[in-house]
Parts: sequence; structure tokens; C-alpha cells
Amino acid sequence: MRAEPINKISKKGLRVWQIYGIFQTLIALLLGIGVWMINFFTGKYIWLYIVDVVIVLIVAYLLIYLFPKVRWTRWRYEVREQEIELQHGLFVVKRTLVPMVRVQHVDTEQGPILRKYDLASITISTAATNHTIPALITVEADELRGRISVLARVAEDDV
Amino acid sequence: MSKEKYKLHPMSAVINFVKVLKEMIIPFIVVIVVNGFGGSEGSGDWSSYIINGIYGIILIFLLVSGIIKWKRFRYWFEEEELRIEYGLFVKKKRYIPFERIQSLNYTEGIFHRPFGLVKVKVETAGGGATKEADAELTAITKAAAEQIKQEMLQAKNKLPAELDESTGVQPLAKEEKRAIFKMSGKDLFMLASTSGGVGVFFSGLAVFASQFSNVIPYGVIYEEIVVFIRFGALIVVLAVFVVLLIAWIVSVVLTFINYYEFTITVEDEEIIITRGLLEKKKITIPLSRIQGVQVVENPLRQLIGYVTVIVDSAGGSLAEKDEKIRLLPIIKKTKITPILQEIFPELQLEPTLTKIPKRSRKFFYRLDYIWMIPVAGAVSYFFYPFGLFSLLLFPLSYGLGVWQQKTAGYYLNERQLVIQYRLFSKVMVWMEKRRIQSMTERATIFQKKANVSSIITTIKSGVTGASTTIPYIEKTDAEMLLNWYEPYRKTTIEKEQPLED
Repeated sequence: MRAEPINKISKKGLRVWQIYGIFQTLIALLLGIGVWMINFFTGKYIWLYIVDVVIVLIVAYLLIYLFPKVRWTRWRYEVREQEIELQHGLFVVKRTLVPMVRVQHVDTEQGPILRKYDLASITISTAATNHTIPALITVEADELRGRISVLARVAEDDV
Repeated sequence: MSKEKYKLHPMSAVINFVKVLKEMIIPFIVVIVVNGFGGSEGSGDWSSYIINGIYGIILIFLLVSGIIKWKRFRYWFEEEELRIEYGLFVKKKRYIPFERIQSLNYTEGIFHRPFGLVKVKVETAGGGATKEADAELTAITKAAAEQIKQEMLQAKNKLPAELDESTGVQPLAKEEKRAIFKMSGKDLFMLASTSGGVGVFFSGLAVFASQFSNVIPYGVIYEEIVVFIRFGALIVVLAVFVVLLIAWIVSVVLTFINYYEFTITVEDEEIIITRGLLEKKKITIPLSRIQGVQVVENPLRQLIGYVTVIVDSAGGSLAEKDEKIRLLPIIKKTKITPILQEIFPELQLEPTLTKIPKRSRKFFYRLDYIWMIPVAGAVSYFFYPFGLFSLLLFPLSYGLGVWQQKTAGYYLNERQLVIQYRLFSKVMVWMEKRRIQSMTERATIFQKKANVSSIITTIKSGVTGASTTIPYIEKTDAEMLLNWYEPYRKTTIEKEQPLED
């Protein structure tokens, strides 16, 4: 049995995902209100009101609570001397190995919400693939980016 | 290093002209057709003169611009660079260092051949973003093309050894030149008659029709079709058959023209493919750029024992159309081993595959049932009784799943990974460890319970990547693969055979 990668995403990352969840729920809420209105002006079916509310509540529960939590518990990463290993996934668990010699460049990115929580996402690119670690503490992300670019030597002519 | 500036052959003016004409031909036809419809309703003679006049002016403009482009074009060699100067209105210059040049590709069109000319495409490693080749010399004599090649080789050989190695040009290997494969007439016929070219032709027809969609009077056609149908189903069937037959013949002829005298040679650590009857194409692929080799058997060709060999090549503007290069468009399966052995000596061509465990079988078809149940249910309900035929989807999907499970497998040694899988066609992929960009183990919750997981490998192909999946192997095997891929960790590669099956 291979050991899981050591590092977890920062606890603040969970917060950010929950905020994303709130935004997504707002969209669902708007749709729900739309259905409510249509029902109010046309059918006035009691059951439809109930279904409408229940669906919005379920969506809220999933997007704000359950999905971020499961995602957060699953997310692991580890940057070793010779390779980077990532593990993530909600229903489908993926575990990816990227050798350092294959890494071509590393980007960090920070949106407004991430900045508020002093987080950044870091994307590791090989010649053919991209891999993102979604929420790291900014200092940690910068340090990691530096380490990866030092460790990742220029690939030979293998590409 | 000479600083003399060279011009292209004057024929390139004509070729430029014809090329632009070719690109404009569809809008041109549309304009003429529309005009023909309008003009026939008795408008005066003078208007048709004007219109013909406009055509004339456009043609003359194109011809003149072709000539000017040729007049302006210069290329020369300076400071180990290929330098080009061109432009119709704006003068542009492009300098390409020889060491960056990945390959020189030659094409001989019908206009080239009477004069012994070639079109040279210069391709560099990066240039993925731009769609066109990095530089294109429309028409030069073969001697001039050879000169460019020599200049390039000379420049590369002057460089320090390690750089030399990285571009894959070895001065010593220069003498080597052998034809490895020549497609026989019979193979050519097999390729033409079983190719998907029929589909291509039809889609072409559809495109053509869509160009005309606002011109064709569909209403009239519809009425005529109704009349046509009254003639009886037999005629319709006959007509369809004739159309299909014609499409097939056209596709056979096209394939024949495109793949005529298909030959592979290996020279200077490069694979050179030449083909074509009217337009002779020469494609060069440096061996060091090849990322993976695939043997594809579609079920139809599997029946008659023919396969296709495809190579994935990294980068270059080859990517615009075919990042997957058909190395051997068609060949008897029994004959591939010596050919591949010669081009790629390291490949393990007859691997003993580790198969997929039987308990994984359900994962091949189970997911499809999720969408099939509602679809089949709805179809059966609304189109009862004939809709019940949709239930056949289930055994078919099950059958395909079993077929996929039986086909799939992998083989591993120190340096390479061989994967066999089937979506519909059977594919066997060879990839070297050092060419694999990343490896992912993937498992759903159910697969985790069943203790199986898939391995996804990605290699570079063209400007992006190509992923290959080993489906649902034993969890322990998947981890063994990850360990194998992990750099510089001592791993003993022991084959764990599946317990069942």
C-alpha cells in the first residue's frame, strides 16, 4: 500500500470553498425563486412549492457543507525531491505523480476571495498536462513555487 | 557563410496566385451562382460587363500580388540563421537559428514537378501557437533545397556536442539511408477501400451543401422529392446505392492519389515519409521527437488482418493537422514486427500482457446503463412496440464491455510500458518511461471497494497531450505502476498476476 501524500490543504481553503458553495447556491436559489414565481402565477400547486424548497435546501447542504468537506479531507499533496504527488477527488479519487524533470513551469494565481484569506493556487505544468493545487497559504505557495523551479531541471530532449 | 540573398523560383508567383484562387473558389462560385440567378431575369448587358470587369480586376490584382510577393521574397544564410524577408505591403523579416530548426518538409505539387522544384516548410520545435509553418519557401529548385539542408547541418555540427545531441542530428549517421517500407499496390487498394474516406467525402458534401444553403430553393426541391418518392422505394434505394458507390469510388481514387508510392526511409536519425501521385509530399520526423507508437486495429480491418501504425510526435507545426502521424497507414499485421523492429529497436513488440481481473468487468458497462435505462424506458414507452428494440442496447453494451475487458492489458519492463485497450478499435500503445509526462491513479468509490483502479498516462502529442488509460487493474498493480514511474526509487518490478481469471 502506498502511503498517502502528507500535506493537507490549509483549513482556510475549506472556508474559501464554502464561500464558493454559497455563490453557487445563490444561483440555485434564483432558479428556485423563478420556479416559485411561475408556480405562484400559474399552477399554485402546493407540492411544487415543497419540492422547490426541498431541492434548494439539499443543494445548499451539498454545495456549502458536504462537498467542500469531502474535497478538503481528500486533498493531499507532497513535493518531494524528485516528484510531486497529488491526490484529490470527490466521487472519483485521483492520485497523480509528476516527476520534477517533466515540470516545465509553475504558476501561482490569486483571485479576490483567495487574496482575502491570504491564499493562492499553484499550477504545475508539464509539456502536456496541468496540475493545480487549489488553496495554499501565500507564503507557502511562493516557497513551494521556488522549490519546484529549483528542483525541476530542464528536461533533456525527451519531450 | 555566404551572404548572398536568394530568390524563389518565378514559378512561385504562379503558385501563390493559384493558391489564393483555390481559397477563394467557393465564395467565387457562390457569387457567380447568385448572380446567375438574378442576372437571368433580363437585366441589361452593361451590368454583366461591369461584373465581369470586377472579376477581371480581382484576378489581375491576385496575379500581380502573387508576382509582388515573389519579387519581395528573399532568403539568405547569415550568422547560422536562416533569414527571410517578405511581405506584400509591409516588409517583414524572420530570422530562424539553424539549431532551432526541427525539420524541413518538402512538398512537390503539380506545378513544381515539371520544373524540378520543391516547396520547403521549415519547422521549429516551439511554434505551437502559430498555426502555419514557421517559414515556407513556396518554390525553389531541388539544388537550392539541398543547399539549405547542408547549411543547416553545417551550422548544427559547429555547435558544441551536447547541443548537437539535443537536436538529434549526428554527423556520423549521414551515410545511412534505407527504404524500410514501400506500400504495395494491393495494400494501397485495401487502404482505399476500407478507409473512412467515405465519411470524409460525405461531410465534404455536407459542407458544400451548407455553403449553398441560402441559394438552393429547398421548397422546390422538397416538392420534387415528394414526386420522386412516388416513383417507388426501389428507385430511392437504387439512388442511395449509386450515391454511396460513387462516394466510395471517389474516396478510393482520392486515397490512391494521396498515398501513391508511400515509402518510409530512415536517414540521419529521422524518419522520412514520402507519398502522393500529383502532389509529392515528404514529411520528416526526427526520431528523438517521437513520444509513442500505436498499433490500431479497427474491427473491420481486424477481420482481414490489417492494422494501422500511428506515431505521436511532439511539437512542431505538424500539429495543425496530424499530430498523430500515420506511419504505416495500412499493413498486414504479420508484417509489422520487422519494420517496427528496424525503426524502433528498443520496443518490446511481443509483450505478454497482464490482463484485467474478471471482477472489473462490471465497470466496463455499468456506467452506460445509467443513461440507457431512462432512454430505453422512454423509447419503449412512447414508441411501443417497436421501441422495445431499444432494450437490445443492454446486451450489446454488455457484450462490448466484455470485449473491452478481454482485450485490455498491459506490459511493463524497466524502461517501457505497453498498454492494450479497446474502445471499439483495438489499440496497442508503446511508451517509454522518460516520455511519460504524468501518471494518475483513478478510482471511484465502488472501484475502491472492489480493490481495483485505473492508471492514466499522458504523453506529449503535437502541442498538447495524449492520455492512455489502463482500465480497472488490481489496486496493487496500479500502485506497482506508480512505484515504477516514480523516479530514482529502488523498485523491484515483480509481476503480480491476478488471482482470478
